Amino acid sequence: MELIFSLIVNGLMLGSLYAMVSVGLTLIFGITKVINFAHGEFMMIGMMLTYIITTYLGIHPYLTLVFIVPLLFVLGILVQKYLIEPLRNSDEHVQIFATVGLSIAMINLVLMIAGSDNFNTPSSGMRHTLDLGLATVLTGQVVIMLCSIFMVGGLHLFLTRTQMGRAIRATAQNRNAAQLMGINVSRINMVTFGIGIACVGIAAVLLSPLYPVNAQTGQSFVLIAFVIVVMGGLGSITGAFFAALIIGLVDSFTGFYLGSSLKGVAVFGIFLMILIFRPSGLFGKARKLAHVS
Amino acid sequence: MNDKTISSTPARNHGGGMRWLFNKKILFFATLASLIIIPIGVGDDYIYHIFITICLFAGLSTAWNIVGGYAGQLSLGHAIYYGIGAYTGMLMLNSGVSPWISMFVGAILAAGVAVAISYPCFKLHGPFYALASIAFLEVFHVISLNWVGLTGGANGVMVPLEMGWSTMIFTERLPSLVIVFGLMSFSLAVAWVIRRSKLGFQLIATRERESAARGAAIRTVHVRLYAAAISAGLTAMLGTFHGSYLTYIEPESAFNLTFSIQIVLFALVGGLGTVFGPLYGTILLVPITELARGWLGSSAIGLHGFVYGVVLILVVLFMPDGIMSLIQRYLPSSRVRRLDASVENSVDHVPLDDINKPTRPPIGEVVLKVEHLDKHFGGLHVTNDLSFDLHKGEVLGIIGPNGAGKTTVFNMISGFLRADSGSVAVLGEDGHFISPKTPGAFARSGVGRTFQIVQPFAAMTVEENIMVGAFYRFRSVEECRKAAREIASELGLNRFLDEEARNLPIGGLKRLEVARVMAMRPRILLLDEVMAGINPADLREAIELIKVIRNSGISIIAIEHVMQAVMELSDRVIVISSGEILAQGKPEEVVKNEAVIEAYLGKEASDASNE
Amino acid sequence: MLRMNNVSSGYGATTILHDVSLEVKKGEVVTIVGGNGAGKTTTLRTLSGLIDTSAGSITFKDEDITHLPAHQVVNRGITLIPEARQLFPEMTVLENIQMGAYRPAAKSRYEQRLEEVLALFPRVKERLHQQAESLSGGEQQMVAIARGMMACPELLIFDEPSLGLAPIVVSQVFDVVKKIAESGTTVLIVEQNVQQTLKVADRAYVIENGRIVMDGQAQELMGNDHIRKAYLGI
Repeated sequence: MELIFSLIVNGLMLGSLYAMVSVGLTLIFGITKVINFAHGEFMMIGMMLTYIITTYLGIHPYLTLVFIVPLLFVLGILVQKYLIEPLRNSDEHVQIFATVGLSIAMINLVLMIAGSDNFNTPSSGMRHTLDLGLATVLTGQVVIMLCSIFMVGGLHLFLTRTQMGRAIRATAQNRNAAQLMGINVSRINMVTFGIGIACVGIAAVLLSPLYPVNAQTGQSFVLIAFVIVVMGGLGSITGAFFAALIIGLVDSFTGFYLGSSLKGVAVFGIFLMILIFRPSGLFGKARKLAHVS
Repeated sequence: MNDKTISSTPARNHGGGMRWLFNKKILFFATLASLIIIPIGVGDDYIYHIFITICLFAGLSTAWNIVGGYAGQLSLGHAIYYGIGAYTGMLMLNSGVSPWISMFVGAILAAGVAVAISYPCFKLHGPFYALASIAFLEVFHVISLNWVGLTGGANGVMVPLEMGWSTMIFTERLPSLVIVFGLMSFSLAVAWVIRRSKLGFQLIATRERESAARGAAIRTVHVRLYAAAISAGLTAMLGTFHGSYLTYIEPESAFNLTFSIQIVLFALVGGLGTVFGPLYGTILLVPITELARGWLGSSAIGLHGFVYGVVLILVVLFMPDGIMSLIQRYLPSSRVRRLDASVENSVDHVPLDDINKPTRPPIGEVVLKVEHLDKHFGGLHVTNDLSFDLHKGEVLGIIGPNGAGKTTVFNMISGFLRADSGSVAVLGEDGHFISPKTPGAFARSGVGRTFQIVQPFAAMTVEENIMVGAFYRFRSVEECRKAAREIASELGLNRFLDEEARNLPIGGLKRLEVARVMAMRPRILLLDEVMAGINPADLREAIELIKVIRNSGISIIAIEHVMQAVMELSDRVIVISSGEILAQGKPEEVVKNEAVIEAYLGKEASDASNE
Repeated sequence: MLRMNNVSSGYGATTILHDVSLEVKKGEVVTIVGGNGAGKTTTLRTLSGLIDTSAGSITFKDEDITHLPAHQVVNRGITLIPEARQLFPEMTVLENIQMGAYRPAAKSRYEQRLEEVLALFPRVKERLHQQAESLSGGEQQMVAIARGMMACPELLIFDEPSLGLAPIVVSQVFDVVKKIAESGTTVLIVEQNVQQTLKVADRAYVIENGRIVMDGQAQELMGNDHIRKAYLGI
């Protein structure tokens, strides 16, 4: 019983971490219809910067948010403006390879500069264990859990309650009609991309005290993020949140019962099943994909 | 190579124009030869290694291009087949089986895996197919790590260093180069043959426009599975070679995403879907990265990847059609000719005088029976209990306001849409009625259709477009070509045979659409708004054209808005409004029908006409 | 107020409009009639900036708007109510209407305008908090018109407002168009339903194969054989 409980707690902790990584990806897909294959690399860059700033300035890693989130927001805007937007009317394969190319370039740039070593951001008290009675968790994990809930809730409120948020949703639902309302659709796309990348920046900072980072870190996370985004229904933020929790649980249970190396097979097995049998996601209506993609 | 040859040769895209052909061949064979001669001449081991790498990737990219380029399925998981080939070779070599044999075992294995993976994934498009292929790659990676008994897990597999041709392991580099050169040439030859075969046309037709390909009785899933299997087999053979060359294989390098992406990158840089693009792409990129490594110091890890990433971004931004498009641009005679204004004006005014016009046969028995068709989309009742017959040699016009459900009816009587209830029966050649279910079955039972929105197979010439329609009737490409030429001259498209279809004006496209369907020699022809958007002057000719088709005994159903054509051509008209038959009868009678006038012009108009 | 001078445009290499010239004066109701595929919708898409003009010019209140992107055309005071309604399906009716007032000039007058518009559409008012996609076709058309009006446009353009609607709804739609015109908004309308449109309109242009072939007072065109022929072939 205790074991099951601690597996569940661990799964949920892991799940909320995945949720943070995936939210930006699904937002970007939902609005710009682009699958950002370089999403994980933005996180890796964020973690690298967190490491550098924290170790050089000796400040608490969380404080780097002030710097990293705006920086990644701007990076996102630039990528949308100079790479994605010019290709909007191009063939699908061209769009895919644009972000694939970006991903390869970013990974290898970091490899050239920093090599393939792991860098450990100081844990700064975030690796303290908290005893929940039946299970133990780290302080950093609790922070991530709370933040992921705030992030999903905050994005939801932003998209439904603000003028900008509504304009973003309108663009996603009918690009043509949005233009006819006077919405500058390319600006909306840039802002959305920026927000999506900023979200993964927040994830990067919060993850840093718990996970080492190297040039390949982004890849290992982004593959799971793809699984979550498809499972949650492409473009659906709340869908991605719950899918992330499910994948977290699957990860935690299969990791324990099948061994950590085989859990990947379970996760990707689920992914392939969903892609093939339920491409609109676990919670999505079949129709939804039609006007999303 | 004088100006005269250029000007006297009609511009052709594929192989036409002597100078182009000459240059292209010279370029190609010179390139091939240099891959062997340069390293032998230099004699340096490092140079050998670079050229072996070039041949390996050129072969892999060429193989990938068969499924990724021709069929348009962007697999990012091709390392799966490379890994299968490599592991098969290594493991069998450890049991004493020569790579020359295991190569084929690996190829068959990989082809089988490719079919099993691809079949469920073909309904995924674009990025989703790419994602699925990455996921499969990841699954293979994890399996190879964990199936320690077979693969040795993370430790990988080594082979004993027994030198010789039977083990494909050498101290010298030259034999390895010869082997990989041979394999690469084999890949190129296969790719070349496929591009010129029926399979190649069918793949490209499927990629360009799946619905029309299915309408032309192409088994779109089958052909893509063949492509996937062939591509995987070739990839595995190169994998087996490379395993022996490296004498060591591990999961990290065998089932590697970056490796997969590299394969794709070379094809993309060279020109997706072209036969020789992957070769040129590899030759350009591999040395660049090797040179860069020389300048920046050989220890710089990540440099390869960084260069590839940046090149990939630059290519998609500035040269999405790859090097092959540049080669074509700088060889003037090969350039895809754009129609100049005078040609554009004349394309629709092709005189039809020389066509023999058979006299019209009498209208015969029922050839198509549509009974009680019903179809709902969501809450919308788009087709409501619709029944009608079509007789042999008859022209049946279907008219009705926008959104009345006309095209939906077409989709149901050509197999593209399944009705909720009701039946469609076609008179077979044996005199019995059959009820086909799929577009292919409809096509084979003699029903051919055009599509309202004309999108030709854009990258193909007019002749090739028409050939697609003839494929299911003939075995050889040459017979199809002959049939296509006949149809083209019947329909007055003769002099545009070598033009790329995308360059035709709208009138020409509509005619091409009809020609492709006519190449199937249908007994029942479904025409969806073939008159829409063409000039009044061309309308006359289009109408004459339909008459010629009708007089040859083909039964026609035409959805049409151009009333002049409807009135002149139709023996009978059905008016559909809100998914129901509003009126039917002779055209002169139907347009006087009050309900019809009201549906079209509004209520007051029908009142006015009564006064 | 609005002038198209020898405008040509199309999609990619295909030119659909050839040398189209027309004008709309302040306070007028002008209609463009023509058969399927004649270029009506393309004319409107060119006007509103959704597709670019390849030749000729467009001016609005004597300012050149030929190459402005769609959202800036809206800001100048031209709003197009697109064909087939094109609501934001997963937003509520109220949110759809709010989006209509996105243009800065409309935001400041939002409250007052909302009241005016909803007074015109009692049915819409009852359904403000429903998802737009749950509405019937006629209701959706009303929301689309309300959404367009929220922009407080000086020129309101309708693209086939009666498309796919039941006859009773069609006459409601035309009543609304009439009311909008009477309230002083300039209207340009494209319709298949020729007779009803001509009754509402002051002037009309007839378009065939991407060219304007005839224009004149709506009354005069009403009984014109040319129009009957274009539509019915008789």
